[in-house]
Amino acid sequence: MKLWLGLALVAGPLAAQSARARLEGRVPGAAIPVIDSLIQAASTEGLPTEPLIQKALEGGAKLVTAPRIVAAVEVSLGQLRDARDLLIRAGDEPPVTPGEVTTVTWALRRGLPRPVVERVLAALPRAPRAAAMHAVADLAAHHFDPDSAADLIIAAIGLGLQRERLLDVSAAAAHELQRGRSHAQALALVRGELPNVPASPKPTAGAVARARRPPAPTPP
Amino acid sequence: MNAIDPRIHQALDGELAPATLSGELRQAVERLVTAAALLATPIPAASLESRVMVLIRRPAPSRARRLLGWFVAPHAVTFRVRPVWSLAFAAVVALLTLFPMRHEGPDIGEHEGIAQFVGRFPGAQSVHAVGSFNDWRPGSIALEDVDQDGVWRATVVLPAGAYEYMFVVDGERWVPDRLAERLVADEFGRENSIVIVRPARR
Repeated sequence: MKLWLGLALVAGPLAAQSARARLEGRVPGAAIPVIDSLIQAASTEGLPTEPLIQKALEGGAKLVTAPRIVAAVEVSLGQLRDARDLLIRAGDEPPVTPGEVTTVTWALRRGLPRPVVERVLAALPRAPRAAAMHAVADLAAHHFDPDSAADLIIAAIGLGLQRERLLDVSAAAAHELQRGRSHAQALALVRGELPNVPASPKPTAGAVARARRPPAPTPP
Repeated sequence: MNAIDPRIHQALDGELAPATLSGELRQAVERLVTAAALLATPIPAASLESRVMVLIRRPAPSRARRLLGWFVAPHAVTFRVRPVWSLAFAAVVALLTLFPMRHEGPDIGEHEGIAQFVGRFPGAQSVHAVGSFNDWRPGSIALEDVDQDGVWRATVVLPAGAYEYMFVVDGERWVPDRLAERLVADEFGRENSIVIVRPARR
């Protein structure tokens, strides 16, 4: 218990230090203290800090001014807090995991209505839910009604599909649109195929042979 | 050690008739003759049934012992192969030894996948994929236009997950990947593309 408490007390400042080191030279100097305080606030609240660091680095890379970078990081922090609150409302026990907060943040940023997100969370009471959220968001991006999209993905979950296989469901519906079906027809067809929607192809041997490993990628 | 009376020896050797011996010696000779006759009688062999039952009642050896026995017992292994096939087999072994098959491309971990970036940028001098997979660091993932048709491509290994990214054309122009289908506002007035990298080992 003492060990965990000690680790928790040390981990926050260490994470903040490493975040500051990552921002130095990449983000306008004037923005760093404010962003640093926002990252520390997120860390204290048990929220993921990586999305805030990425937003700041993105702003720096895009040569955005310091005030706009700070504003974007503040917006991102607000989104993370909204996502945490939504997760707790949907039934997750606090403290919610940073990974799930990130998942729900993605879903909201991709335009899914909160009630739809809550329905998907309720259908998948256990993490990980990222693929399910992206599957619903993918369908919504193809102008499927978000509620109907959630119905389809929840039906797929009920039939045992999980993780990346849920992305195959949304991909199958999108393919039916490309074949000229209406949205309603596409949903009905794919629902009839469940759970045997076609799996996405694995990377070909040629793609694997061509693949390069970029220097030091950062996990999401 | 008791010495045997030499007359008993002579009687057993047939040199003296037992009847000529005294009563005590004659009895001794008779006992010895009877004992010799008993020793010469063959012991009757065990019946077939009893021998079979002995084998049946013996505990069966363990699987490991039987396996060990199979390995240590000599077996005749015969291959009937035409010499031409033997030579072909030897040639294949020699080739594989001399020129081992190369595993092309990087080793892909259990939680890694492959992302392919493709964009059409005719006349561009350089195109890079920049995003949360490389800390938005321009220059680390360069796309190539190998056949000079304006279509730029890169195939990279990334940890499985979702990433935001954009293309940077000629080092200054930020362009979303319109083929990605997944777009999200970047809070700076533009849109980022989203790529979901699925684990390659499924």
